[in-house]
Amino acid sequence: MSGLPRAWLALLRRSIAGMIQYRGEVALWAIWGVIYPAVALTMWNAAARDAEGGAIRGFGPSEFATYFLLSMIVQHLTAAWDVHEMGWQVRTGQLSPALLRPLLPMWGSLSDNIAYKLVTLVILAPIWVLVAWLVQPRFEGGWLDYAAAAAAVLLGAAIHYLWQYNLALIAFWSTRTNAVGEFWFGGKLLFGGLMAPLPLLPPLLQGVAAMLPFQWIIGFPIEVAMGRIRGVDVVAGLICQALWALAAVAVFRVAWPASLRRYGAVGV
Amino acid sequence: MPQIQAHELSRTFRVAERETGLLAALRSLVRRRHRIVTAVDRVDFSIEAGEIVGFLGPNGAGKTTTLKMLTGLLHPTGGSATVLGCVPWRRHPDYLRQISLVMGQRSQLYWDLPAADSFEVQMSVYGVDRVDGRRVLNELIELLGLGGVLKKPVRTLSLGERMKCELCMALLYRPRVLFLDEPTIGVDITMQARIRQFIAGYNRSHGATVILTSHYMADVTALCRRVIVIDHGRILFDGPLAALAERLAPFKVITIDLERDANGSDFSRYGELIGQEARKVTLRVAREAAAGVASRLLADLPVLDLTVQDPPIEDVIGRVFAESARPAAEPVGASAS
Repeated sequence: MSGLPRAWLALLRRSIAGMIQYRGEVALWAIWGVIYPAVALTMWNAAARDAEGGAIRGFGPSEFATYFLLSMIVQHLTAAWDVHEMGWQVRTGQLSPALLRPLLPMWGSLSDNIAYKLVTLVILAPIWVLVAWLVQPRFEGGWLDYAAAAAAVLLGAAIHYLWQYNLALIAFWSTRTNAVGEFWFGGKLLFGGLMAPLPLLPPLLQGVAAMLPFQWIIGFPIEVAMGRIRGVDVVAGLICQALWALAAVAVFRVAWPASLRRYGAVGV
Repeated sequence: MPQIQAHELSRTFRVAERETGLLAALRSLVRRRHRIVTAVDRVDFSIEAGEIVGFLGPNGAGKTTTLKMLTGLLHPTGGSATVLGCVPWRRHPDYLRQISLVMGQRSQLYWDLPAADSFEVQMSVYGVDRVDGRRVLNELIELLGLGGVLKKPVRTLSLGERMKCELCMALLYRPRVLFLDEPTIGVDITMQARIRQFIAGYNRSHGATVILTSHYMADVTALCRRVIVIDHGRILFDGPLAALAERLAPFKVITIDLERDANGSDFSRYGELIGQEARKVTLRVAREAAAGVASRLLADLPVLDLTVQDPPIEDVIGRVFAESARPAAEPVGASAS
């Protein structure tokens, strides 16, 4: 093996070793990702029990259980955090060593991203099983739904990672990007389907969500896995996801060179 | 054909500034003031393959900014440069595979992992042939005496050990041009000497071109035949080291520790008094008179310890600037290029 695959696998091995070194902290971050869906599930279950017919627009307790259990998994597998990292790297000049290598720094950050997801699976998989046992979800999808959902999760992860990285490039203009990251997380909560399934949003917010990338990261893969979106709608959704990912690549190709022209390489 | 060429290379920074205090902070919300700082101002030089060139200047002189441009980290705001025929800031992978920047205050190593892991990643990232890479790594481990530190996490290494690991990282892929920014900063004298020997050996055996910045005159005198002195972003001297030493530092600094308080003693007969504490005196004396003055001091005074040193490079250059009536823009020495 040579070239980029060899380099990237070496970076991945390094990232996994680094994550294992900080396993305690990494575990806490991973568990934090379970808390949001758990809180949302508790609230919506309570609301469904009080609702007429025990369901809200077709979502009863078991649908909510399935939805939020899947949202725990999808949120984990599509996680990205470069918008928080990049500001620090640019502000302190920590990006410089990565820029000296004959490889885009993005590959290093991608290896960290995937290493985090792999290492924390060891902690999260038992938690997901425990939550599933507690909330009794109902999986009605067939193997085709799950295969399509796997593709949707992959594309969702690509969309999230690439757009986060593009957003992180703001760091070259304004080094404090944490607030931007929080704003993005808010978008994911509301328009992505983390706080509530998208069909439950008011029509106006559904209209806004349709124009943003968030639903393609969280909501769409979950609904495909639940079998709520099927057939031609799945294909159309996967094409939309691919277009969002391609648009992110196009933006990156323009924004990255422009960002480097702004880089001050502080503190080297 | 020169390997490194800079022509009218310039870099300015736009720096926000304000007065101190809360009121000034509030005022800056409405109206931000900026100042253009010229870090590198139209510098010209060229360096041939295999040269070791010392890049000297006080803090903020522009030497590190120049290195950043030559390694592709910074885009210039004016002028041009080529290294190995490439424009550095285009950051072409083929270019980056042929250069290396060692930064005394910035690490290429992975902090939490053993140094050996960093070396493995480096070889893969730079596409070093596995068999060749292993051989080169073993050579470097032996030359730098790294055998005992390979399995330790980098964060637990001493500064000297870390610096040797940085050099190993930097040379694993056999770069043709080596940029060394303060490679001996903070390490003890023995280690400094080993690092210098190693750099000289690498230059000899591989014909690599080396640009070195250092505040330690000893680094420069041990390694560089040629020096470029820069201040306020402009080149003040470019030529042989011998000419620089005679021109800019024709004196030595003698420090003595005395057995009893020196109050009341007249030291002006030995040289220019530049520092005096109760039992410690520092003198500046002419380079050729240093040995004689040292002997007289030992004979005349109850001396516990005596050191004769070259003055810090910053002092040398600062003194020249203070004494020189020439405008800073005018070169002090002739260009070697």
